[in-house]
Amino acid sequence: MKRTNVIALLVLGAILGLLFNLGPGTTRDFQAKVYQLIAPLLTGGSGIAKQVTQVRSGLKSLEELEKDNNGLKVENRELRATNQALRDTEHEVNRLRHALQYKERSVFKLVPAEILARDASTWWHTATINRGKEDKIDNDMPVITDEGLVGKTTTASQNISIVLLVSDENCKVAASVEGTREQGIVQGERVTTGVTPVLNLNFLSKQANLQPGQKVYTSGVGGVFPSGLLIGTVKSFRVRELDGQAQLTPAVDLSRLEDVFVVTGMTKGR
Amino acid sequence: MIFFGILLVLVLIAQVAEFFIPPIRSLFNAHIYLAPLIVFYGAVVLPFPLMLALALYAGFLLDTLTVQVIGGKVEISLGWSILLYAVLAGVMHGLRPLFVRGRWEVHCIVAGLCTSAIILAQYLMITFRRGSISFTKEVWWQIGTPGLVAILVSPLVFYVLHWIARATNPALLERRRFDT
Repeated sequence: MKRTNVIALLVLGAILGLLFNLGPGTTRDFQAKVYQLIAPLLTGGSGIAKQVTQVRSGLKSLEELEKDNNGLKVENRELRATNQALRDTEHEVNRLRHALQYKERSVFKLVPAEILARDASTWWHTATINRGKEDKIDNDMPVITDEGLVGKTTTASQNISIVLLVSDENCKVAASVEGTREQGIVQGERVTTGVTPVLNLNFLSKQANLQPGQKVYTSGVGGVFPSGLLIGTVKSFRVRELDGQAQLTPAVDLSRLEDVFVVTGMTKGR
Repeated sequence: MIFFGILLVLVLIAQVAEFFIPPIRSLFNAHIYLAPLIVFYGAVVLPFPLMLALALYAGFLLDTLTVQVIGGKVEISLGWSILLYAVLAGVMHGLRPLFVRGRWEVHCIVAGLCTSAIILAQYLMITFRRGSISFTKEVWWQIGTPGLVAILVSPLVFYVLHWIARATNPALLERRRFDT
């Protein structure tokens, strides 16, 4: 073996030895710095991805128009295209107005954030948001929408943060079931099989006998998630050897997330 | 070195692009990975030390973008992807002589297998940490599909990278280099 190859191997081995021994704090710092470095790329990529989606939906409606109105003049098409663009704007205005209203009536101090990217890997369910330490966002802060719980922040850099989604197996949330005294831990599944992920509510009593449609809320135990946030609704219940387990449908459609709120505290007087 | 620099940039772009490539819903949410293909091509044409440097860079990027630090614990510590990339790139590096003889199909298939191997290794590592191992149909699809996609896409990716390599550093592709 060549001398340079041996040296390269030794250098790699030394670097690996250093990295394997890094503590969680340093690892998180490394991660935050790398995310901070690629933040402009993620922001730019997110913008391009949204434009592509808009163009695709625009083309779709044009195709439909062509089928339905084959004989229409070019001027008419232009008018319809303009109309479509206005509708997109209206949708955006409605969405933001809706979000603003939720922010005003919420009991929490909320920081609005936009999803930049999500699920870059097979086994981890995460999303990246465009808010970070500059916006007073820190690690382990709950992330919600007006529909319910989304997850929690795990790594916050200056102006970008990683959100661990509630559908991830590592995101464990203490929960209580509406209308019962049942409490358990909600956890995502390691392998998502369908479009909508399923959440498992574990450690229920065997006699819980939950019915489909019952709502499950955060219980506030554990300190990260405040109580009363909707996690999902019961889909099914089964008795296992030692406990009862319910399968839940998440309250939030995690595949279509656009805007979220990070809970940074409670509002005054609450 | 110019080509090596280009590969570094391309790996970064591919790694970021993977954030925006939606998973294939009909195949149990299988993801598409582009960065490993660039690393594996680099492994075939670059000299051994540069191959390791590329594996170090790509592995570090992959680790920092996927690693989870929860409750003061790191699920998979930084460095594992570097080790994986280095080993798999080493396998590809061993196939260099075949590449120059025009046997691209071998590299395309091996690149696909190596892509799946990375995802399999990640699954085994998180299973080791979290417990309860299970290999369901969905797991195999999520491991296998990225490899299959890589096999299908790799001829195009390799062709483009080969073209760039020839334009920037033709010496890399000289036969005598491969025969050593």
